[in-house]
Amino acid sequence: MISRRRFGTFLRAGALAFAGSLSFAHAAAADTIKLGIVGPFSGPFALQGKNFQAGVEAWLTQNGKSVGGHEIEIVYRDLPTANPQQARALAQELIVKDKVQYLGGVYFTPDAMAITPLLKQGNVPLVIFNAATSAIMTSSPLVVRTSFTTAQTTTPLGKAAADRGITKFVSAVTDYGPGVDAEGAFKKAVEAAGGQVVETIRMPLNTTEFSPIMQRIRDAGAQGVFAFLPSGPPTLGFVKAFSDTGLKPAGVKLFATGDLTQESDLPALGEAAAGMITGFHYAISHDSEVNRAFVAAGEKAIGGPGQLTFPAVGAYDGMYVIAKMIAATGGKQDAEKAVEAVKGLAWESPRGPVKIDPETRHITQTIYLREVAKDAKGNWINKEIQSFPGQKDPGLAK
Amino acid sequence: MTALGLKPDGAQARPLLRDLASIALIALAGASGYWLFPDNLSFLTRVISVALLVLSLDLVVGYCGIASLGQAALYGAGAYAAGIACLNGVTEPFLLILIGAAAGAVTGLMMGAVMLRAHGLPQLVLSIAIVQLLHEAANKLAWLTGGSDGLSGMLPAPLFGLFEFDLWGRAAYLFGLGLLIVTFALLRLLVRSPFGMVCRGLKEDPLRVSALGISAFPVLIRMFAISGAVAGMGGALGAIATQVVGLDSVSFELSANALVMLVLGGLGQLTGALIGTVVFMSIEHVIAAINPFHWMTLVGAILVAIVLFAPRGLSGTLDELARLLRREGRP
Repeated sequence: MISRRRFGTFLRAGALAFAGSLSFAHAAAADTIKLGIVGPFSGPFALQGKNFQAGVEAWLTQNGKSVGGHEIEIVYRDLPTANPQQARALAQELIVKDKVQYLGGVYFTPDAMAITPLLKQGNVPLVIFNAATSAIMTSSPLVVRTSFTTAQTTTPLGKAAADRGITKFVSAVTDYGPGVDAEGAFKKAVEAAGGQVVETIRMPLNTTEFSPIMQRIRDAGAQGVFAFLPSGPPTLGFVKAFSDTGLKPAGVKLFATGDLTQESDLPALGEAAAGMITGFHYAISHDSEVNRAFVAAGEKAIGGPGQLTFPAVGAYDGMYVIAKMIAATGGKQDAEKAVEAVKGLAWESPRGPVKIDPETRHITQTIYLREVAKDAKGNWINKEIQSFPGQKDPGLAK
Repeated sequence: MTALGLKPDGAQARPLLRDLASIALIALAGASGYWLFPDNLSFLTRVISVALLVLSLDLVVGYCGIASLGQAALYGAGAYAAGIACLNGVTEPFLLILIGAAAGAVTGLMMGAVMLRAHGLPQLVLSIAIVQLLHEAANKLAWLTGGSDGLSGMLPAPLFGLFEFDLWGRAAYLFGLGLLIVTFALLRLLVRSPFGMVCRGLKEDPLRVSALGISAFPVLIRMFAISGAVAGMGGALGAIATQVVGLDSVSFELSANALVMLVLGGLGQLTGALIGTVVFMSIEHVIAAINPFHWMTLVGAILVAIVLFAPRGLSGTLDELARLLRREGRP
């Protein structure tokens, strides 16, 4: 190694030799099954990545670090923002160099799309903990998903909103892929239930000034508003503006997907969000024994309460699926057999009863209608008020 | 050395030798990359793709003195053009690279036409505005570009009809390496040509060049087109190797990163662009693998240290070291 390094005195060789020798350090033991997890562990989406990690760690704490005598080793790789080139490079290295048997994680759709073409050749299944576009599932038969899709959470919400006797809606979504999907799904559901979306507003990404939007909602004479924004500062701005500009006091109802009221944002949203109705697959406050155990382990892994949110449950259930895959293949690398083994798998998740749909390999789950309210201790929670069991992804329905 | 950076006749033979030596070094480093790191070829291909972008930026910043924070507009144009062509049945890799180069050159012409209206800071702002506009256009035209989900599903034909762009990425890497070497050699000829000299002259003393009767705009806009073609090839290479094109390829972040890599390596030397890219991306890659949670802080600290201790860029510092060594050898 050393003599070869001298041979390539050019900086590139030197720098990369450094790279190589460092990563040789963790060579695999005889019966260790490696699992590569790609997610945003740093940068603006680090909280979501931390939730991936918390979900994984929570599962390992509860179930131990081995399955059927096979030790599990997790290799985390950071992908801070959507970057398909980097995603492919990371996945390739995990498969070829680190020799992982399973891939998991993936927060953004383009990254998932860059990884799926590698799966067949690498003989590796990919369990997606988040990336939520329907089309990922059709790009490779070796993909299983334990998160949700925007259409999946929005469709029951649209129905429930129309069932409340509201007929005139305005939709206000952020102008990018998932926002446009949400608008379409909501409109379809509301119209099917006899309601009407009188105006569709698309808001620029990253804007935090919403008073003109509120004015448009007021001018349209809406009784209900459907909103979809990426979580973070824009969400806070939107909900505050909705309350401050008098729309909320005037009795206009705000509906949204659960991304807007993720638990880590609730303390900041506070009173402004009270009474807001959201549709989503998971609330930290979900009332079940399994969930209480999960939340306790998850909060410990993430380092305290208040940071645990929905990507953690995707990761936790993803680990459950991967463990079943390992058990079904007896620790041997056989991606097809592994995926085959979890088709139709049903279990009790912290979010409620779930099942891997055998046809689409996407998770079938209960979608809850929740209201932002205070619990007995005075903390803001997403209180579940209605449930729609057995929801598949409408985007994949044939 | 004169103000225009022209060297006396006697010294002309040495730069040519230096060029040949640096091309040989790139080939050698590239080949050793292939043998030493057969499991990292996807990453190395990404390095080459970005290296082409940084080279193209060097043409504009280093040789013409036009600061730009929007170079990814050209890279993204090439990536999307190649991606869209590939989805529409043009799968031959060489043809896709040419399509990327053409798209980059056309975008470069347009970008140049806008940016050359201004000077200094307004010019920099224009470059940011252009990349943001293109980013938004790529986001909006989802039917064409896939929007924020990215453009996916392209299947480039095997290289020479034989070598697949597969999991191991050997074909993609060697293809990229060949492309880089040829491009680098051509660019060396370009910057040594009278045209390249005029560009450098315009950077260092525009008044004097105009006194020679040379008008700046046609020269600079040509350089923009060439720079666009190089960046476009980088984008097309990325599209072929990854088979997905995302919005990140026309982002401000990528443009800014390219500038960081260029400054790190050293401006106006072409080799600096390559060294900067390789060093920056390797450091990032290695540290992020060791600690995926807190690596950004460490990378930031290392960059600050490098810029403080090597203000002329890594290649400038290497040159200085070489000069010192030579002086010591010749008492």
